[in-house]
Amino acid sequence: MMIASHRIRTAPRPHRGGDQALRRHEVQPRQKGAKPMFLRAISFVFACVIALHTAPGESVAQDGPLRIEITEGVIEPLPFALPAFLPENAAATQLAADISNVIAADLEGTGLFRQIPAQAHIGSVTSFDAPIAYADWKAINAQALITGAVSVDGSGRATVKFRLYDVFSGRELGEGLRLGGATNSWRRLAHKVADQVYSRITGEGGYFDSRVVFVAESGPKNAREKRLAVMDYDGANVQYLTDSSSIVLAPRFSPTGDRVLYTSYATGQPEIYVMRVGNVRQQALTDGEGAMTFAPRFGPDGETVVYSRTTGGNTDIFAKRIGGAPVQLTNTPSIETAPSYSPDGKQIVFESDRSGTQQLYIMSAAGGEARRISFGPGRYGTPVWSPRGDLIAFTKQNQGRFHIGVMRTDGSEERLLTASFLDEGPTWAPNGRVIMFTRESAGAGGQPALYTVDVSGRNLRRLPTPSAASDPAWSPLLP
Amino acid sequence: MNTGVKISGAAHAGLILWMLFGGFLSFDRREPMEFTEVTLISGEQLAAMQAAGSAAPDTPETPAVPDAPSEPESAPETPAPEVQPEEVVAPEEVVPEAPEVAPEVAETLEVPQADVTAVAPPAPTAPEAPDGAAVVLAPEAAPAPRSAPRIAPEPSAPPEPDAAIADEVQEARRPDEGTEAAEPEEPREATAPEAAVTAIQPDATPDAGGAVAALAPTGSPRPASRPRQPAPPAPAAEPVQDDPPDTASQQAPADVAEDAIAAAVAEAVAESAGGADTSQAERGTGSAPTGPPMTAGEKDALRIGVQKCWNIGSLSSEAQRVTVTVFVRMNQDATPDTASIRMIEFEGGTEAAANRAYEAARRAIIRCGSGGYDLPAEKFAQWQEIEMIFNPEQMRVR
Repeated sequence: MMIASHRIRTAPRPHRGGDQALRRHEVQPRQKGAKPMFLRAISFVFACVIALHTAPGESVAQDGPLRIEITEGVIEPLPFALPAFLPENAAATQLAADISNVIAADLEGTGLFRQIPAQAHIGSVTSFDAPIAYADWKAINAQALITGAVSVDGSGRATVKFRLYDVFSGRELGEGLRLGGATNSWRRLAHKVADQVYSRITGEGGYFDSRVVFVAESGPKNAREKRLAVMDYDGANVQYLTDSSSIVLAPRFSPTGDRVLYTSYATGQPEIYVMRVGNVRQQALTDGEGAMTFAPRFGPDGETVVYSRTTGGNTDIFAKRIGGAPVQLTNTPSIETAPSYSPDGKQIVFESDRSGTQQLYIMSAAGGEARRISFGPGRYGTPVWSPRGDLIAFTKQNQGRFHIGVMRTDGSEERLLTASFLDEGPTWAPNGRVIMFTRESAGAGGQPALYTVDVSGRNLRRLPTPSAASDPAWSPLLP
Repeated sequence: MNTGVKISGAAHAGLILWMLFGGFLSFDRREPMEFTEVTLISGEQLAAMQAAGSAAPDTPETPAVPDAPSEPESAPETPAPEVQPEEVVAPEEVVPEAPEVAPEVAETLEVPQADVTAVAPPAPTAPEAPDGAAVVLAPEAAPAPRSAPRIAPEPSAPPEPDAAIADEVQEARRPDEGTEAAEPEEPREATAPEAAVTAIQPDATPDAGGAVAALAPTGSPRPASRPRQPAPPAPAAEPVQDDPPDTASQQAPADVAEDAIAAAVAEAVAESAGGADTSQAERGTGSAPTGPPMTAGEKDALRIGVQKCWNIGSLSSEAQRVTVTVFVRMNQDATPDTASIRMIEFEGGTEAAANRAYEAARRAIIRCGSGGYDLPAEKFAQWQEIEMIFNPEQMRVR
């Protein structure tokens, strides 16, 4: 923009020797004499008219290619075609179809892509290595084409290979990729392919091959049973980590995704535990502190845990290395809780009512003076730092409504993404593009459920879970 | 002016005296008569109305209403005659004064005519009146002062006249007086200078009569169309010369105005368009049609044609912050040459994000251009190469 306008303005006007001389010969005599006022007026009017016919920002003199600036496009799902992956052997027939379906679902679930139904396809892919008839895919306005093939060897190992094409450019986007894994992990294979496609088109990492830990709830509202559960990001493969013998709250994945922090009432009061997901072994993290501890969260290093501890009716923020001694980070008579590390581990955002109402603050990871960043009406809580480090998601309560919102780390550009009877507990997808949270419906029969929303506020979706669910926490991308 | 004031004062004084001794008394008599009658009638009627309950019979009082109108008629009549005579008298008195002023003006006109003939040429912007006067008077006054010396001082005045005009005048003079007829065609400014410049004047005087020599300077400049007339110069030089100068003096302003307007318009177009035309003409290839400059509407059509296919919804938030400039060479059927599309520069993000943004822009150009953009074929040279700046600032998700 700036460059364009600058070039236009500085474009040198070419010299016109002959033409200029001719013009002087024709016009100059009368000009030199003294052009009557009405002639000057006429020339001025013509000049104005002509000037009006030329756009102000446009270059009249083109000193090169024509330059235009396009500032308004469209924001809509990108249509793609995904012919069913080709099974390269009989054992892969069903697997190829299933993988194709999961890939399509992953892409469509983002709200950024739209699959063109197979019934609308004109062309077909008969061989993974056959050249692409782009015209056939252009005809159905497929802007991206995904082809693939699946094979299963005798040991039960599945191999998936795929290619991504930019149809209108008539070329391949990136290079073909081959992935292999156990047949029973075919969903992860599909998610991996989807992540690659997503990344190549959007330019940011995917989040499909990830998991979510949450609290599965059952029973009436006044006698709710809660269990820790983990599932794929899309709600598949639900596995329960604890039974319903005790109340569990606020599970949080470690940065490597192999452990989970959570709060349990197993001892009658809230206490923090850490569980290794692989073998479901749990360990009390704060058993020797003799106080209520809750709201834990891992630091970026995976070894430091920051949490809240209530002693003598006062709640402050503490941090400790697993197995180490706790370090008090805040020391005020108000309630400080819900701490969350920045991606670089240097800062902590938390909520506090030290100002009289619940607001968000940022302090150094070592403690010290905190800086308030939320100033809007209502109350702010449960802040979570984005994996990108640029935004902070939060829960806001204002005028009887709950919202999930985001703001910059300095508190600017606050945007509310949702609004309902009760929205709370946001958690970021690994790529920082999507937020998952709990939404609970009103009334005695109200049930909590998990929802996702794009950081732009679009594409609000409910996650399918076998039962009511709350307190989600997104894992990082799986290795 | 003093005389006029005196006359006016005397006239006003006479008028006042006339008013005092004129029909002033007669008007006074009429007015009281009518006013008294009206007041009496209305009072009686009102008393009768109050005494008698029924007012119906009184309705005939309406005739009294017609009396009322008679009052206004009399009222205006009284003042009207008084005022009108005053105004009429005043102009009558002024009229005689006017002739006194008129001669003064006539004197001023005469003086410039004779002397101005020589002075007029240098003043081009002078009003038309002096020009016409000079032309008319020239033939008459010229014979006497026509002496060559007067022409000599003038030569220095005319620098402006173009060489082309000067040449034509010289040729026209040699044959006969008819040549002089051609000279008068030029604008009066140039005529004087030419006569002077053509020091031939002394040579011409012996050949032609003094009157002819005098005419030469008067019928000065003339447009190019005149030169054809030299043929008919055969007839008497003087009458012919008289006509041309008149026509010249009359047509000159119109012709000059038209030419000037055309020139002014051309100049305005050239100034406003700047070097666009020429630069584009120079830029255009020999075979590619250049046509007039691309209008804002045509550029908007192209912009709209591309932007409806520019989809950034599938881009990362980082890629949505990147502004990319894409070069594309167009085919003559207004479709993009896909092989020519390339990213020239980007701003606002990493190279990886810029590549994604560029791909989205590239898709937009190709997809919406597959059927050809709405571009004027006659201006192909101007849109043969295009740089499109894709700036998502207004659309991006922060």
